[in-house]
Amino acid sequence: MGNLRDVLSPFTAWKHLIETPVTIRNPIGREAADGYRGFHQNDIEKCIGCGSCEVICQNAAIDMVPVSAPVDGDSGLRPKIDYGRCCWCALCVDVCMTGSLTMSNEYTWVDADPDAFRFIPGVDPKPWDDMEKGYRREGARVLTGAERVEMGELPPEARIDNFDEIVVGYTREQAMIEADRCVECGLCVATCPAHMDIPDYIAAIREGDYDLGLQILYETNPFSEVCGRVCTHKCETACAARHEGDPIAIRWLKRHIVDNVSEDRRLEIVGTPQALPTGRKVAIVGAGPAGLTAAYDLARQGHAVTVYEAQDKPGGMMRYGIPEYRLPYDALDRDIAVIAAQGVTIKTGVRIGREIAMDKLRGEFDAVVLSIGLHIGRSTRIPGTEGPGVEAAIDLLARITAGEEVPVPERVVVIGGGNVAMDIARSMARLQKRKHGAVGVTVTALEDFAHFLADREEIEESFDEGIEIVDARGPQEVVRYKSGKRKGAVKGLRTWAVTSIFDGQGRFAPQYDQGDERLHPADMVVEAIGQAADVSILGEDLTEALEWTRGRLAVDPAGRSSEPWLWAAGDAVHGPDVITAVADGHRVAASVGAMLMAMGEVAR
Amino acid sequence: MMRDLHDHLKTRYRLGDLAERRANLAFVDVARADLRALLVELRDVHGFTHLSLLTAVDWIEEGRFQLTYLMNNRTANRSLGLRVFLDRADPVGDTIHDLWPTAATYQRELREMFGIAFPGSPRVDEEFILEGWTDMPPYRRDFDTLAYSQQTFSDREGRETHDPRAHMAKKLNPEGQR
Ligand SMILES: Cc1cc2nc3c(=O)[nH]c(=O)nc-3n(C[C@H](O)[C@H](O)[C@H](O)COP(=O)(O)OP(=O)(O)OC[C@H]3O[C@@H](n4cnc5c(N)ncnc54)[C@H](O)[C@@H]3O)c2cc1C
Ligand code: SF4
Ligand code: SF4
Repeated sequence: MGNLRDVLSPFTAWKHLIETPVTIRNPIGREAADGYRGFHQNDIEKCIGCGSCEVICQNAAIDMVPVSAPVDGDSGLRPKIDYGRCCWCALCVDVCMTGSLTMSNEYTWVDADPDAFRFIPGVDPKPWDDMEKGYRREGARVLTGAERVEMGELPPEARIDNFDEIVVGYTREQAMIEADRCVECGLCVATCPAHMDIPDYIAAIREGDYDLGLQILYETNPFSEVCGRVCTHKCETACAARHEGDPIAIRWLKRHIVDNVSEDRRLEIVGTPQALPTGRKVAIVGAGPAGLTAAYDLARQGHAVTVYEAQDKPGGMMRYGIPEYRLPYDALDRDIAVIAAQGVTIKTGVRIGREIAMDKLRGEFDAVVLSIGLHIGRSTRIPGTEGPGVEAAIDLLARITAGEEVPVPERVVVIGGGNVAMDIARSMARLQKRKHGAVGVTVTALEDFAHFLADREEIEESFDEGIEIVDARGPQEVVRYKSGKRKGAVKGLRTWAVTSIFDGQGRFAPQYDQGDERLHPADMVVEAIGQAADVSILGEDLTEALEWTRGRLAVDPAGRSSEPWLWAAGDAVHGPDVITAVADGHRVAASVGAMLMAMGEVAR
Repeated sequence: MMRDLHDHLKTRYRLGDLAERRANLAFVDVARADLRALLVELRDVHGFTHLSLLTAVDWIEEGRFQLTYLMNNRTANRSLGLRVFLDRADPVGDTIHDLWPTAATYQRELREMFGIAFPGSPRVDEEFILEGWTDMPPYRRDFDTLAYSQQTFSDREGRETHDPRAHMAKKLNPEGQR
């Protein structure tokens, strides 16, 4: 009987009955020392419900209980303390990830109801809630490291004339230290679009078990090598560690696992489909992350999957958009190899709608998944954009990937302030450095630096590489030479200063200061302001039959279109990044799989 | 200065390097056999008349206990900590209650909380603050405080906790979508 002592302890206390009491009869009214550890206080707005306090408590005095609805980075749970168990050690205060939990110096409170001594500090009002005195942790938290292990990078001079990968990757020692900072609260999991089991794979690193780590990665993401390099890492914005330090480098830790498992070993661990062939056939249009993830899942369910890809190689924007210095092609190839090993047929160089009609797919397959991404570069349509010397960023990036010759003039101006603008600017800078020995790229963005769309690292690294970025400039005209030898060629981009981008209703309606005009000299202007899906492939009848929402194909939460045989996934319907495409791929595969299983039941 | 003292003493005692924490606080490792003689010399010759505390650290990975004797020189306002290491498998320290009577109390506490024996120390085997303790000495690092607490004390009725990750998955992604 585990709780014998609960029953016996009153009797053992009897032996003290005849002794003179050493306790003060009425301690109430006598204030404790300033730094005394008394009843807890919790700043409810600051607390994120990570539960680290519960985990560290050696007396199991804390329960995490629902107080509000969970949102990104906050479970909505708050600690409820049982003072029948608390020993006032303050470990919970020392470990608290946000500094929300403190202790007042109030230690006396009389109540006949033992359950009154179980309450949620900060939620159940108490007289000591606002007391200034009591135990406060000195400085920031120290029980878990606050600083991220710095990632090694090629210095600018070593990278500016080539497309070598910039990020070096963690060593085992670095990864171990970084992994050790994780408190495994799991707040990040809900924020990751694919709900990757982040704390579990970080724990695997800590155990040094990379095979297990890889297995965990594959349960949710067949593009972990890609995502370990270029993921937008939304998870890190939900990390408990970010409140009093740097968030855990989740993306780099993911990469570290994959870096430590060879391609052969990955194939062994992941294996091939265990399900018996179902005899069902699925066509997937577009070999980007959405299509290939769906292919991976469906193949593992035993269905025959054929992926049609217009380009010469699979990968979509991961290959033809994202530059090699961020994502080397062989890294992408390794992820795709594991998917192909599931028996997925990938037919490259086949553009559906041209070589093969959608109707034909519909006739030959039980289901069709459309994962065509966004491959038409949008234009500003400002005067002068028609004609030579004006390019779309994604076209140029694709041609660079394909190894085609692209124009590399000495001066290039990029329109756009997002990551795609940075990718083309930095790619052109490399080509210029090679050809001319100098970088001559100017990026003009509508947003000012405080509201910039591109990631901070991208901006900093671009500066390091000698790229000029001018913020808050609105493009007005691509100016061309009017006469002379260069008549018709691009002379530069004329811009106005931006005073505001959105109107009172939050609609895109940029306002300019026309008095502040500049001509950015350029021999070529590149537009990087967004992409659209090429839905012309659907053909007139199908386009007519399908439902649309604001120019996009309408799909239900499972990714199914209004036509029962057609699903859509990835950028073409959702966006904006690889991990969302992966999540979409899983979702669509589950829905298609359920439909195919139902078909099987009926056939039987 | 502490450094001069260290230089002076290390010719005759087996001392480690001086670890200076503050201008008036330093620590040094001492061979167990030299401890007593060094304590006496520090007290009687160098003015470290006060034993501020005697405590222990469990270096479980290294298989040893560390005893720290913190000595204070009141007039010079400085403290010197002597560190002695004991085999964790057979932890026996040397009593110094005859040098400072208060040491007996510290030694009794160390006996109870870490299981370090001090043969000859007065009342050393009597209970100190734990009553009827039958478990492993609780300050040893391999003592599982949480498990002990859970076995020993019952929870009040109606307690229920939620794992943040599982709770969020249930609320935000009820279909269990990947
Ligand atoms: C320059 C750039 C940089 C980016 N950087 C990042 C980044 O760092 N991190 C990140 O997470 N995301 C990034 N993204 C976004 C990311 O690449 C996309 O969100 C993701 O690739 C979308 O996947 P998808 O499968 O929907 O489409 P895509 O990857 O676009 O794949 C669609 C595929 O369909 C093919 N296709 C289209 N039409 C047809 C047809 N008719 N017949 C046959 N095949 C067809 C295309 O050729 C393409 O291969 C970037 C995008 C760009 C453009
Ligand atoms: S003070 Fe110590 S015992 Fe009390 S709840 Fe916090 S960690 Fe648990
Ligand atoms: S550790 Fe701090 S932030 Fe996390 S749940 Fe406990 S009180 Fe809240």
